[in-house]
Amino acid sequence: MALELNVNGVDYHLEVNPRLRLLDVLRDHLGLTGTKEGCGEGECGACTIIMDGVAINSCLLLAHQARGKKILTVESLAQDGELDRLQKAFIDNGAVQCGYCTPGMLMSCKALLMRNPNPSEEEIRIAIEGNLCRCTGYTKIIRAVKDVVKK
Amino acid sequence: MKDNLKYVGKDIPMHDISEKVAGKIKYAGDMQLPGMLYAKLVLSDIAHGRIIKIDTSKAEALAGVVKVFTYKNSPDTRYNSHKWYVGLEVLEDEKLFTEHVRFIGDRVAAVIAKDRYTAERAAELIEIEYEPLPVITNPEEAIKDKGYSISRKEIKSGNPEDIINRAALVFEDRVETPKVHHAAMETHVCVAAPGPGGEITIWTPCQVVFQVRLIAAEVLSMPLNKVRVIKTTMGGSFGGKGQPVLEPVCAFLAREVDAPVKLQLDRTESILATRTRTATIGTIKTAVDQEGNILARDIHMLVDTGAYFTNGDAVSMAMGKKAFRLYRIKDQKYVADVVYTNTPVGGACRGYGSPQIHALSEIHMDNIARALKMDPAELRLKNLVQPYDLDPIGGPALGNARVIDCVTKGMEAFRWKERWQKPQNPGRYVRGVGMACATHGNGYHGGYQDFITMSLRMTEDGGAYLNAGIHDLGCGTVTTMKQIVAEVLDIDVDKILAPEADTLVSPFDIAGTQASRVTFVCGGCAMKVSEMVKEKFIHYASKIWACKPEDIKMENGTVYKDREKDQKLTYGEMIILIQKKFQDDISETYTYTSPANPAVYAVNFAEVEIDTYTGLVRVTDVLAVHDIGKAINPGFVEGQIQGAIQMGIGLALTEEIKADRNGNISGDRFSKYHVINAPDMPDVKVLLVEEGDEHGPFGAKSVGEISTCAIAPAIVNAINAALDINVTSLPVTPEKILKALKNKRERQQTETILV
Repeated sequence: MALELNVNGVDYHLEVNPRLRLLDVLRDHLGLTGTKEGCGEGECGACTIIMDGVAINSCLLLAHQARGKKILTVESLAQDGELDRLQKAFIDNGAVQCGYCTPGMLMSCKALLMRNPNPSEEEIRIAIEGNLCRCTGYTKIIRAVKDVVKK
Repeated sequence: MKDNLKYVGKDIPMHDISEKVAGKIKYAGDMQLPGMLYAKLVLSDIAHGRIIKIDTSKAEALAGVVKVFTYKNSPDTRYNSHKWYVGLEVLEDEKLFTEHVRFIGDRVAAVIAKDRYTAERAAELIEIEYEPLPVITNPEEAIKDKGYSISRKEIKSGNPEDIINRAALVFEDRVETPKVHHAAMETHVCVAAPGPGGEITIWTPCQVVFQVRLIAAEVLSMPLNKVRVIKTTMGGSFGGKGQPVLEPVCAFLAREVDAPVKLQLDRTESILATRTRTATIGTIKTAVDQEGNILARDIHMLVDTGAYFTNGDAVSMAMGKKAFRLYRIKDQKYVADVVYTNTPVGGACRGYGSPQIHALSEIHMDNIARALKMDPAELRLKNLVQPYDLDPIGGPALGNARVIDCVTKGMEAFRWKERWQKPQNPGRYVRGVGMACATHGNGYHGGYQDFITMSLRMTEDGGAYLNAGIHDLGCGTVTTMKQIVAEVLDIDVDKILAPEADTLVSPFDIAGTQASRVTFVCGGCAMKVSEMVKEKFIHYASKIWACKPEDIKMENGTVYKDREKDQKLTYGEMIILIQKKFQDDISETYTYTSPANPAVYAVNFAEVEIDTYTGLVRVTDVLAVHDIGKAINPGFVEGQIQGAIQMGIGLALTEEIKADRNGNISGDRFSKYHVINAPDMPDVKVLLVEEGDEHGPFGAKSVGEISTCAIAPAIVNAINAALDINVTSLPVTPEKILKALKNKRERQQTETILV
């Protein structure tokens, strides 16, 4: 199946199996392995990407459903070699341990900040309710997002 | 304890955090090797049976399938993946692929194909016919069956039976803890590739490379030197990736098809077919006097190791020993019976039995306090161990055990006295507080051999290279080691290279990241080898400058003679001079044997809010107080504790891999297995008691495991106290709470009628 995708501002023309999920195309065809798979059923959020400004689980979407949409993955956050302020805040607050949930976590938080630059703590918690993390207990992640809001 | 520390005690970011936030870091699942094939496991879908017929022909006929493996064309070797060093005697009962399946999730076959979709499709085409065998999933049935009841362990000090028989006040409880999934976000994964000389290289997110090498070599009948294991970035483990589950399988497959093979499990496979927290049914009996002093205690643990033995004995002993190291109890008996069941396999899980034994002892302590109408914190203060107490069963001395400080400081910070027994709100939502204590260890000293070899070299540009078989599980081990080296040598942390374990190039380490040994034992080695390198450097510097060694000062990457600061050289310049003049390398290799195994302590205070209509519980506040000795990196310590609390809340309230009578599992995916998410997670406050341990590097003790050992009982105690019920079966689900409330109402009505 021919597939045209716009990922991180780049137009791709691909030939892929129609059964593939967006997650598979990102990882296996575009080499964007920052996006992770943790459950395959939309429960853990490790595969979160931003599609037309909304955070979604790329494991629940067939790749062709992303036609004509603008996809952003974690690889898009850093610009010209400089990390995004959200990524910097994750570093400053020690919001990362094993790092496996981090890309999805970042994308959920980024989508939140894109639509609401001044979220409350409750709004931050709700924005990442679909992103599971086993390492951090979320405290430092929430602190990092609050830091971005403050600045 | 050293003062004026420059690197230790500071929040230095994790070594790979920039790559992690950029999404650039590679996990094993991200690896691509030329010509790599993909494996898919076929798991048993019945809990007990024998394969009568297995037909792989349709799978083999599918285009893109390379080969199918079953018990018919794989080694018959039995092994135990718990075996972490060569001389360890263990019960060997597992095989790569079995014809006698013992649980839903047992490995029956593997398909290798050119891509993973083909492998998945082919796996579905394998037809298996089983002769079903009787299924036992309940450990209390298993203990009555000779084939399932496998081992008994006993520890005893004094004469508890006599005292309990004579005592006026004896209390008894029964506490159940469930099988739990580690829920690392990275599912189990492994890549293996054969080399031209018949060697195999295994890339794996593991905790002990030398254990992976040992198990793979044993199963494949290969010399240790032909198996190379490289630890990859760890996407979370918590003990779940401690025992090599996939590695021997993947290595075998790669060797047989002579190509690189990737084997990655999905979530359900990770839950069913790897390892779980060992389930327990504990009974406990304690004799106390009127003031609440413990006179004697008798503990029995029924330990459900699942379908394979793995660490059944070790985890039973580990939890038993803890019972002697929290309270001063001279007369105590601990007996554990280990049983098989036709359920997922038990193994290491953060705390290694401590969360289970402390769930039993700490819920019980609160029940004693209630019966005696005492403040449960005060009851504990009467009985807790004190600094430098000895272990009554001859285990390692407790060291600078500061659990009493943890309780008193915690009570103050949590405002325990105000919050405990506050008049109950009779409305729908009820709040209450609870607390619990726990102890854990620092390595294997006293139980098993515990040593590690490290090499440290100062480089010509003033950096340092620490070569050691360390495994960062995402806790910051690499940075922690660098901070220790930096502190001794006074070098910028960023100038230190400390790669992770690779059996080809790392010096030997006997035990890897297990038993809460890394900071205490490996950190102790890093400190010692750094001191040796420093001494060597100073020795030569003093010869070059013709002065006494004590006149040489090392500061922030530069070296100078006392009082002649203007004539300083960088470390690198001095090393070049030493190389020229003495033809020697500023490096040392040292094998450090752990000198001690002090106890470490955590005291958790929790507040819960219970919806009495639905039985739903929210944990609204947690304070974790830790006897840490010294935090090498306080931010990492805080992170460990906050994550561990999340895991413990799950154990208390929501997480369970539950088998029905036929061995069918509920909770086999995240939509049915509830890991606590951000809105349900309280802000965890951390309070550290840093009184230093004489044997730990800069006084440091462990944190990774102890941090998850006290929270579940603290929460259960809060619920029971708030509702005046006594639920002692974990997880405390809404159903159990509603049932207990109903029983309480009926009891009260009966009492009213009787009155």
